[in-house]
Amino acid sequence: MAPSAPDRRNTELAAAFVELRTALGRVLVGQDDAATGLTLALLAEQHAYLEGPPGCGKSELAAALAALSGARTHTLVFHRDIRETDLLGDVLLSRHRHRGHERLRRELIPGPLLQAEVALLEDLPRSPGEALGPLLRILAERHALGQTLPLESAVATGPLEQVEAPIDPLEPGQLDRFAVQLRLAGLLTGGLFDEAAVLLEREAARQPARSAVPSRTFTTADAPPRRAVMSTAIRNAAQRAAVALQVEPRTLDAYHRLLERLRQRTADESASGDRLMSDRSFSSAALRLVRAHAFLRGAPAAAPRDLGAIRYMVAHRLPDEVQEDFDHILEELLGDPPNVTMAETGAQMPGAQSQGDENSDGAAASSPASDSWIDDQADLPAPPSLFGQPPPPAQVDPLLRALVGRIERGRIDPDTDPGGQPRGYRPLRDLDELIDADLIEALLFAEGRLPGAPRTFERKRKSAGGAVAVLRDISASMAGRLTVWSSQVVLGILRVAARRRMRVGYVEFHHRALPHQVGGRLLHRSYSRLAEQAGQAKAVGQTNYEAPLRTALEGLRGGSGRNRHVVLLTDGLPIIGDTTVRRERQLARRLGVALHTVFLGNGDCPPVLDDISLETGGLRFCGRPLAGGGLRLEER
Amino acid sequence: MSDLTPLRDLLDHHVVGHDEVKTAMLLALITREHIYVEGPPGTAKTRLAEVAAKGSELDFFFYQLHRDTRLAELVGDIVLERRKVKTEGAAPGTAGEAERIHQRIEPGGLLTAEVAVLDDISRAPGEALNVLLRILNERRFGAEPIPLMAAIATGNPMDDEYYNEPLDPANLDRFALQLRVSGLIQSGVDEAKTLIDRFASGSVVEQPDPEPVTDRATLDALNQQMYEVEVGTAVRAALLDVLRTLVLEFECNETNSLLTDRTFLVKAIKILRGAALLAGRDAVDLPDLAALSWMTTFRVPPEAHEALPRIIGRVSRQIQAV
Repeated sequence: MAPSAPDRRNTELAAAFVELRTALGRVLVGQDDAATGLTLALLAEQHAYLEGPPGCGKSELAAALAALSGARTHTLVFHRDIRETDLLGDVLLSRHRHRGHERLRRELIPGPLLQAEVALLEDLPRSPGEALGPLLRILAERHALGQTLPLESAVATGPLEQVEAPIDPLEPGQLDRFAVQLRLAGLLTGGLFDEAAVLLEREAARQPARSAVPSRTFTTADAPPRRAVMSTAIRNAAQRAAVALQVEPRTLDAYHRLLERLRQRTADESASGDRLMSDRSFSSAALRLVRAHAFLRGAPAAAPRDLGAIRYMVAHRLPDEVQEDFDHILEELLGDPPNVTMAETGAQMPGAQSQGDENSDGAAASSPASDSWIDDQADLPAPPSLFGQPPPPAQVDPLLRALVGRIERGRIDPDTDPGGQPRGYRPLRDLDELIDADLIEALLFAEGRLPGAPRTFERKRKSAGGAVAVLRDISASMAGRLTVWSSQVVLGILRVAARRRMRVGYVEFHHRALPHQVGGRLLHRSYSRLAEQAGQAKAVGQTNYEAPLRTALEGLRGGSGRNRHVVLLTDGLPIIGDTTVRRERQLARRLGVALHTVFLGNGDCPPVLDDISLETGGLRFCGRPLAGGGLRLEER
Repeated sequence: MSDLTPLRDLLDHHVVGHDEVKTAMLLALITREHIYVEGPPGTAKTRLAEVAAKGSELDFFFYQLHRDTRLAELVGDIVLERRKVKTEGAAPGTAGEAERIHQRIEPGGLLTAEVAVLDDISRAPGEALNVLLRILNERRFGAEPIPLMAAIATGNPMDDEYYNEPLDPANLDRFALQLRVSGLIQSGVDEAKTLIDRFASGSVVEQPDPEPVTDRATLDALNQQMYEVEVGTAVRAALLDVLRTLVLEFECNETNSLLTDRTFLVKAIKILRGAALLAGRDAVDLPDLAALSWMTTFRVPPEAHEALPRIIGRVSRQIQAV
């Protein structure tokens, strides 16, 4: 059968995007997925969010997409002080005289970002809420200042989410505006050494472009100039053709089953990572990407295998484990014969479900067991990554709530700080603040035409102060479920500390104190590293209170500020060292450190723990194992 | 062949000791990479930067960062351009005048300098530095290329939280070379005696303005020569083995390290070439790998950084044996 004219035309258009994909793939070594994802995003006219560790080539790839696609581009680098005018355009200030009144009006004139076909938004999460809200709305509506934008795709870049990062990560809801979400891995940290060798070879062969005219200026010259591989007419024609592609009924059928499968897997609370399967993304955007995928491979209609395009959407929509399993889930689904009956009763697919569980080694399968206490230490679950980890079982909550309350006491979060993020506006109070005022209002104010004072940024910063040291008894009697439980308490405290950027210290102790220092210091902000450590504790030896308290207080002594805490987790009487810890109690009082004590187990709480807490204004908790395997936690 | 011996002599003349910092600064000028030097107050950090810049007759921008540092202070002045335009009023008879107001930056400071000294960079709020550091990285402001060759940043140890937050590690990554210095007297090295003797004899004029001993043309020529330095298979294999060891044996990962591809797969090649060139060779040799430890100072955990010379030695022996 000879291909019809429209099919031939489509093949030509698809070829242009295949060339784009190939050229993008050459930009970076070993980032093929990202190249494909970006190509699909542009073809489907969807926005894309690229995240990855610093220096893995996010910006270069985004810039290459813009250059190779021949689109009109504008790059915007986000920073703390970005303003509405940077995003939208110049201000038009008009004055109208009417019957003796002067009326001032301010409007915005569309700036270069609003005229871009491909917008590059660098370091998007660094933008304060002030500028981000309007921008995300514009991206979603593709309409601003009374006009429809020519915007086809916005490509944003951002850092990998890390608890240590000083910026607030974007919320899943904000990220949902970006249909395509790609997570780039570093070659080195991802262990891709073969690809790293290729890159090294490429760099060793690099010669700088020697300019004929000596110039005082130069760019890093790392990125060679790139020529567009397609015209705007072809790009737009391909986009129109791709979105018009038919979706085969069996593809829709498979899609419904895929969504159901993903929904089930996502509902599992033990998985870590974001979860947001919004209607917006999984109806319109997803199907556009599926069509684009089919178009790119020259298919006349979207077949079930084109559902593979969904994998470029999931970085912030599905828990990490489900993401890793995505290809597998899809493969398994497509392997099933498209059975209409099964698809209709997707929610109760017994066969398929159990099969899925068998293959998802770990996370999902072990979830029923996670409610009961695990007595065998070998079964201690590996500590999940600190970030996005599900809350610890309810048993830990009363203690954490009380602790947070103590930590928060006397704190306003975030604090007003002249170096902080603009979190809103307030009237000018001092002429010094004029530098931070709304420029137009400041101008009018200076001309004496503004009734009242100009508004200025209200800057706030999360208070970074404070420190908490966790002392954890790992003596032999702590074996089994007490180990699991105290791991959860430690992880909970670490999470609390990370959120408030408090420095943390972690000391395990039996007859000796085993501080986990980073860079030779007890107190630091390497939360993830401690979280990892906390999951590996082994119970051995006997109990000594003096050594760990001494270690913690010495570590806290150098610091400043009032918000300093020590949490002592133990299940037994001190046997070694000064069992009354008299000197340590004195030192804590002098330093103003609150010593919180948590006693675990069935025995009587040693009176010395009460003394420690009462003298230093710390909390007193005890946790009693229940017959049913649970643990009741209450204030002593 | 051009060389930087006169500049090195000048640095030696003005500052006692700190061999590594001096070499690294020359390396920064040749490779056009930025350098971050951290150390306690009074260890000649700023002085070295100043002498290096003035000695090579480069346009020099000095800025002391502080906790309220704003972008405009670094890149020039914010200019408001006002242009009158006619408008139609909404109602008849209300036609009025309007002004179009455009905000832009008149380049200055960092945007016009060839060498920038950013003093006490750890005091500036990490967030405010983002744009600054991006300019450093791309050597462009908007679409305009800038003449900056190297930025030399100094900082105080991040021991306590008195001054703001520590630098965002991603920001620190913009400085390819990173060194830690300590005071001569405090570390009790022999040079401390030389230092005191020199001041006692009056042979040091405090804060003299150094005469230029080299120039931009020399540095440009060296930069061109750098790209001609050969990086052979053995060196590349050794570099990769060192990195592999850091990842696999020392467990450097995204959480505890900043082992970025940009730095260790792209910039490292430049640094190695520069080190070979400074040593007067036209091919990178295995001993040049020692320069890697000027890249790992704040990028990998301290124990891995300290082990680096050992790792390089082991890898070099293995490569030579093959």
